[in-house]
This record gives sequence, structure tokens and C-alpha cells, in this order.
Amino acid sequence: MRYNEKELQALSRQPAEKAAEIGMRVPKKGSVVKRRLVKLVVNFLFYFRTDEAEPIGALLLEHCRITKEEPSGFSISFIEEPDRKYYFECSSEEQCQEWIDALRRASYEFMRRSLIFYRNEIRKMTGKDPLEQYGISEEARFQLNAPQPTGIECRKEEGLLGRAEISPNSFWPGGGGGRT
Amino acid sequence: MKLHRKPVLSYLRGTGDRAPDQEGILLKKGTRNPSYQRRWFILRGNLLYYLEHQGDRSPLGLILLDNCRVEPRASTSGLYAFTILASAEGGRCYKLAAETKKDFDNWLQALVWAGWSQLWELLQPLQEQYQRACREAGVEPRSPPQEELFLSLPCSPAPSGFPELHQRFGEEIQALARSRAARRQVDLTEFG
Repeated sequence: MRYNEKELQALSRQPAEKAAEIGMRVPKKGSVVKRRLVKLVVNFLFYFRTDEAEPIGALLLEHCRITKEEPSGFSISFIEEPDRKYYFECSSEEQCQEWIDALRRASYEFMRRSLIFYRNEIRKMTGKDPLEQYGISEEARFQLNAPQPTGIECRKEEGLLGRAEISPNSFWPGGGGGRT
Repeated sequence: MKLHRKPVLSYLRGTGDRAPDQEGILLKKGTRNPSYQRRWFILRGNLLYYLEHQGDRSPLGLILLDNCRVEPRASTSGLYAFTILASAEGGRCYKLAAETKKDFDNWLQALVWAGWSQLWELLQPLQEQYQRACREAGVEPRSPPQEELFLSLPCSPAPSGFPELHQRFGEEIQALARSRAARRQVDLTEFG
């Protein structure tokens, strides 16, 4: 599977939502806990040897479960192999809980669900759709009760997106380098 | 750097409860080959995958959409061309084209909202607005639902024994063979 490694590396150098030196153990036979610099950027978790500038690896934090592990640790496992866990050991319960919360919030899918949730709740409480002000109330990816088929048919349906005319000025000028 | 493959593939495949943000045929210029190749593109979140054929289990490649600009591009071949420009040093310039104006519009609309940071920027004021509305209504704000992925995955009931397992595998293999035959049919008609 091809991807541009330089782009992933650039992502790993962006300001992180969270970064710390914590113990990490990969789900490989005979692996031990090693001290790593672990860095959360968008929905990727990068991990580095503590004295190196380039990450050893990157984990995409989608469709994963973050579980508290005793003592003061947590694990990340992925939906297709729930018993294959990446273990992390924190220095305190507080640090551990902060990481668990941050990792859960980092998922694109979690953010999407949150957006749909807030939109729905605000609409119920105020009678107004908060996405209208952004001109994206028809944006399919933020739909509340949109049909969720797995085929491509829904994308080709006329009127599902109800989009306005695309003009060159409406293009988003790039992600802007993460949160600063 | 090792990009762990399984999480990336798992995200592509989805859990069956949400369709991709966008998918369909796009033409893509190769790195060494300057001519367009037809590929099946699937957008999920901030990741744009491309497959050789629709329905392939493994993608050919992946484009990270954070820190990218999407711009239309002039085309002399009657196609609706656009470029995804990675702003990173050493980042690539992906030259793509849609075959119809409708596809072009759909894709650009989808790609404009594909950055992680954009979604985050949109989420913050909504979260504040929700908390404010709760305060005004005198109710306790709730947290967005945590998806219990591992419990709610649609799955068939466990087989009762080996004969049933054997039968189910047989049926799956037959279904796979049928879909491969159907796809071969489609490929042939494209060139026919």
C-alpha cells in the first residue's frame, strides 16, 4: 500500500495534542516494555525512541478501543483483533486518564458522532440548526438520520447533498497544520 | 517509520454501519507514468484510499488529507481535473480527474470537509453552544455517545458445530467466486 512517507513524517512533527515519555509494549511475542516518546497528532499516535527525531511507527486511531489497564496504564486494540493489544504504562493515574480521554477524542469518527450529537441536541433545545450558519446543513457526512447503505447508490442520488454551486473561492486552503 | 497496516485497512473497510464519505471512479496520473489510470477512490474521514478495482480488499495507496489543498486544474482532454497538493516538504502533488461535472462537484464538496482540523474547528463552537444551551435550559450536559464497536458489530450467530462451519465457508467461497466472475465481466465490457 503506497503512501507518501514524507507527508506522514511531516504530520509527526506538527504540534501535538499530547506528547509524553511513557512505557510502551507492542503485541509481539516476547516484547517488553520500552520507554518511548508518544505523540498524538490528529488521529495518529506516533511513537519515537526517546533520542530520535523520526518516529518508529504510527497507529491510526480509528475503530479502536482504549481500555484502562491496571496499574496506571491503558491499552489500544483494534476492532478486527481485539485481543492484540498495544500496552502503555503511565507514571500516574491522572496521566493515564488524560491519555485515555485524549485518545478517544482524537478519532475522526468520534468527532463526527459528537458533531451529529451536538447538532441534534442544539436543534431540540433551541429549534435552530447550528450548522446553517456555516452553510453546511446539507452536508451528508453530518446528517442525523441519513441512510447508511454500504453501496455507492446513495452517493449518486440526486438531491441527497443539495449542494450549492462550487466556486474556486470556496475551496478550503488546507488543514493549517493542526492545533496551535 | 512503520505505518501499522491493520488499523488503516480496518478503517477503509468500515464496520458496515456507515457508508464512506465519498467513493467512485477517478482518474489518477501516476508518479512515473504521466497518463491517467482509472482507480476506485474511497474517502473515509481524513483518509483518501485508492484501489485498482471497486471491491478490492487491499488498497493500492493512501493519501493523507490533512495539510492538503484541493484545487481545480485546467484540462485539455474534456475531463474535470483537480489537484490535491500536500503542503509538506517532499509532499506529493496528486493529479486527479473526474469524468463528469457531477462527480467533480461531489468529490470537491467531500474533500473540502475531509481535514481532521477542520472538523475539530467546527466541533469546538458547537460543543460550547451545546453547553450554553444546557445551562440556559437548566439541564446537565451529556457526553456524546461512546460507540460500543466491539459489542454492536453485526455478526451472524456462532456456528453450532463443524458441519455448519464447513457449510458456511463453502457458501462464502461460492459467493466470492460469483462476485469475482461478475467483476471480470464488468472489466471486459469496459474494454469491449
